[in-house]
Amino acid sequence: MTALSDILHLLVTANLWQATLAAAVLLLLPALGGVVSERSGVVNIAMEGMMLTGAFFAVVADLALHNPWLATGVAMLAGALMASVHAIVSIRFRADQIVSGIAINIFAAGLTVFLINRIYGLQDVGHVTQSELLPDIKVPALDQLPFIGQVVFQQNVIVYVALVLLVLTHVVLFQTRLGLRIRAVGEHPMAADTAGINVYLIRYGAVITSGLLSGLSGAFLAIGVANTFVPNMTDGRGYIALAAMIFGKWTPFGAFIACLIFALGEAIYANNSIIHISQYLLSMLPYLITLIVLAGLVGRSIPPAADGLPYVPGSE
Amino acid sequence: MPLGSVVLAFVVGAVIVAVTGGNPFGAYGALICGGFGIACNGENPALQVSNTIVFIIPLITTGVAVALPFRANLFNIGAEGQLIAGSIACTAIGIKFSGLPTPILLPMVLVGGMVAGALWAGVAGVLKATVGAHEVVTTIMMNYIAQWLLRYLIIGGPLQLGPGTSKSQPIGPGARLATILPADNSLIIFGLPASVYRVHTGLLIAIAAAAVFAFLLWRTSLGYEIRAVGQSQKAARYAGVSVRRTIIVTMLIAGAFSGLAGAVQIAGVDHNLTDKYFSDTTGFDAIAVALLGLGSGVGIVLAAILFGALHAGGQVMQADAGISSNLVLILQALILFSIAANFVGAIRQRIPGLAGRPTAMPPELPPSAPLMSEAAEPPPA
Amino acid sequence: MGHKRYRFLGVVAALMVLATACGGSTPSTTTKQYKIGLVTDIGGLNDQSFNHLAYVGLEKAKQDFGIKDDVTESKSGDDYVPNLTHYASLNYDLVIGVGFLMAEAVGTVSGQFPSVHFAIIDGAGTDSKGNDLKHANVESLFFKEQDAGAMVGVIAGWLEKNGKAKKNQHIIGAVGGISIPPVDHYIAGYRWAAKMEDPQINVLVGYSNDFTDSAKCKTVAQSQVQQGADILFQVAGGCGQGVLQEGTQGGVYSIGVDADQKTADPSVIASALKKVDVATYTAIKNVVNGQFAGGALTFEIKNGGAGYAIDNLTVPPELKTELDKIQGQIQSGALVPPSDKTW
Repeated sequence: MTALSDILHLLVTANLWQATLAAAVLLLLPALGGVVSERSGVVNIAMEGMMLTGAFFAVVADLALHNPWLATGVAMLAGALMASVHAIVSIRFRADQIVSGIAINIFAAGLTVFLINRIYGLQDVGHVTQSELLPDIKVPALDQLPFIGQVVFQQNVIVYVALVLLVLTHVVLFQTRLGLRIRAVGEHPMAADTAGINVYLIRYGAVITSGLLSGLSGAFLAIGVANTFVPNMTDGRGYIALAAMIFGKWTPFGAFIACLIFALGEAIYANNSIIHISQYLLSMLPYLITLIVLAGLVGRSIPPAADGLPYVPGSE
Repeated sequence: MPLGSVVLAFVVGAVIVAVTGGNPFGAYGALICGGFGIACNGENPALQVSNTIVFIIPLITTGVAVALPFRANLFNIGAEGQLIAGSIACTAIGIKFSGLPTPILLPMVLVGGMVAGALWAGVAGVLKATVGAHEVVTTIMMNYIAQWLLRYLIIGGPLQLGPGTSKSQPIGPGARLATILPADNSLIIFGLPASVYRVHTGLLIAIAAAAVFAFLLWRTSLGYEIRAVGQSQKAARYAGVSVRRTIIVTMLIAGAFSGLAGAVQIAGVDHNLTDKYFSDTTGFDAIAVALLGLGSGVGIVLAAILFGALHAGGQVMQADAGISSNLVLILQALILFSIAANFVGAIRQRIPGLAGRPTAMPPELPPSAPLMSEAAEPPPA
Repeated sequence: MGHKRYRFLGVVAALMVLATACGGSTPSTTTKQYKIGLVTDIGGLNDQSFNHLAYVGLEKAKQDFGIKDDVTESKSGDDYVPNLTHYASLNYDLVIGVGFLMAEAVGTVSGQFPSVHFAIIDGAGTDSKGNDLKHANVESLFFKEQDAGAMVGVIAGWLEKNGKAKKNQHIIGAVGGISIPPVDHYIAGYRWAAKMEDPQINVLVGYSNDFTDSAKCKTVAQSQVQQGADILFQVAGGCGQGVLQEGTQGGVYSIGVDADQKTADPSVIASALKKVDVATYTAIKNVVNGQFAGGALTFEIKNGGAGYAIDNLTVPPELKTELDKIQGQIQSGALVPPSDKTW
């Protein structure tokens, strides 16, 4: 019972929700990328690899250029480059998109450590100095609001960017012509093609967008949350983002809610020094909750109809 | 075609090594020696082969555990969690009944592992069949739950060896699979103590698993149902197949294979649960094995041989040639790209004289197309 | 690492030139070239922690003794036995396993190759029940992490007691990776010494359950800062970078671990040192000098194998006096920092 009251007590603190939001954004960015990619009909389980690549190149670039913004740009490009490989292989060569995604993840895990060995000669990658990290920004006036001020308006710059991107992705997907086209390509590519939409172009764009977003998340992790690259530091977040995307039924806000659940579990766990329960059992919490929610409340998730189907002109 | 893809991947890998200032010939020489015991320069070939086989054994069994659901259009990312569940059950039984003799205890731990793995995968199967929860999400969740459960059990939990340790008691002698050669430090075979050759009788179990897979899929009515569901749930339903039942049964069987892999690893190699299962990737490598194996029993065995050899060889490559063993991951990824995208076919088409040869995906490839679409629909009640 | 071989050839060439230049009066006594193999655990060489330090020790030994050194990074726990066996089967003069996770593997392989020397960081060659097999060819390199933890605990406790920390609410924190013996030893010493300095202190102990994901460590650190902790001790390898960083961002002090982490973040006031590099170097030196002996070598404050470094902090003379006093008492055995997990 003490554990439960500890957790309940935590739930009303602004600190907990501040940490939750930051952790959620690390998952949200790749999840949004996944939503865009899969809405266009390309299955994307490569967020983990694209994020890891982004994290690595963010640190390399920041150490070389001494500018977090440029480094973030480099990280996004690196993520986009990995995404392009996925796009070419699965769109141009019509490969199995799951195989390609897994290959990207394995490739990124191998390449980053291989390059560390090569570039830094088995030494540490090095640490980015505090002034060259992505900064925390307190929004003037708003950050003084009770509760909400601390939770939402005292965050890293990328958190604000991510929240804007969340709304933007929703608006673009569901309220613009471009969004209609993306969804059309993902649901009925042949009909879209007949209507004069360039199926390949839309799909390339969507997959590369997912790379940009995952790379951004990697940069946030490596030079926002941390200040260095450690092998495999993304620690499965890309897979959690994938789960969040499906959990959220391929919608931006649905994915966001799922990300918040996972992040809340992580934030509660982080208080294990004051919660009286086995930390390992506590670690299971978000995953158990997800299973229960899936079993009882959310149920089925139906992906876009042509998700995973390579488009061959003239055939559905 | 897979052979061409492997060759292509190695060529690209050689370029990566050369560009970053290494010697690709030295690297591959050591890799081949470490993987297959061929062209060794002082290393003991028998030792290399033995090490590779030990890696191959769990890859075959978990490869089957991923390949079977693929046929039913189910994507089992959860082989790792099922493997852990199997190894936990095997260890728990092997400790609890450590006094029993081999003929009783060994079947108990192996079956126990299979049941645990089946239950672990069964959760995903039932959720899929009843409420339509996507198996990719549920199996990922079950992976994490298995990992944390394992850590709880061996650090502070009931299976912990003692305070300050992060492993379990060893299983009883009756729960162990015998090694092919006697585990004797004083007997010298091929120039080394016999005990260094760790190949165990689990090899036979793994090969049997691949055979069972092929038989089940192509020679039984269940196999027909699995394939029918994989082709089209709608059509399967018209043909009188219970989609719901097939999904659950498929996942149960797949989980049993993964659980068996975990149990065999404990009974044949480790003899206790350790923290290493937290960083184990066998269940994920299995996805690559299943895909590369083109979903056939023989193919899975061959793919497992390749990936096992790469794993073992990569370690030797780093020791002998000083090339980071992470090159192996790059090679694995390139092989997968190359096979999935049929690059070799595309290259052939560009070469005059070779064009016109069949370049299409072989019909053996699992039905990749609607992997995530129709399968997610829950069957009607 | 391909260039390692060439770098090494360069060293040999230079030595040969040197030898001939000096007259080459020792033609027949070709000095034996020792072969040393290092096997890391799954953390790999870039773990910014003890695997890395072991490599530093190996490199230093290479420079001093002209040994042939080879390294294998284990990709999974399944690799420990084959990697150790690899070097042993090639008759290396010393095979070093890094990390207590390798204890059982070293126990197994050292039994198979009684004529090959083994060393293991943080452990002994054990059987599957964790009992030391006491093979004569295994040198176990143990550390009293609690010694190092105690020294930084003195700093933390003293600062709190004398109102020299950031918030001075008598609350400090420790962020562990996973609750395994080396981690808990550090924290035990830290807690003990801080309480000795400041009896009303409250030491928060949290775990990230991770050694690589710095975001996880950072969240644990944040939670401790929000509970009032203003000195954070990281005991989580690469993950702990997040703790050090939270030092600056949360406006508190942080304490590094294993190596001197002064440059990792400006908030690092001190580091608890576990000299894995010294231990590795010592094991190699013993082999080269023919002084290898099986059994345990313990690295502690007494023999300079553990200790502390003052980093971005100007130490008041009173604190310096206190540190010297405690260090002296630990050296003399008058004070014995505990290693047990009691929280």
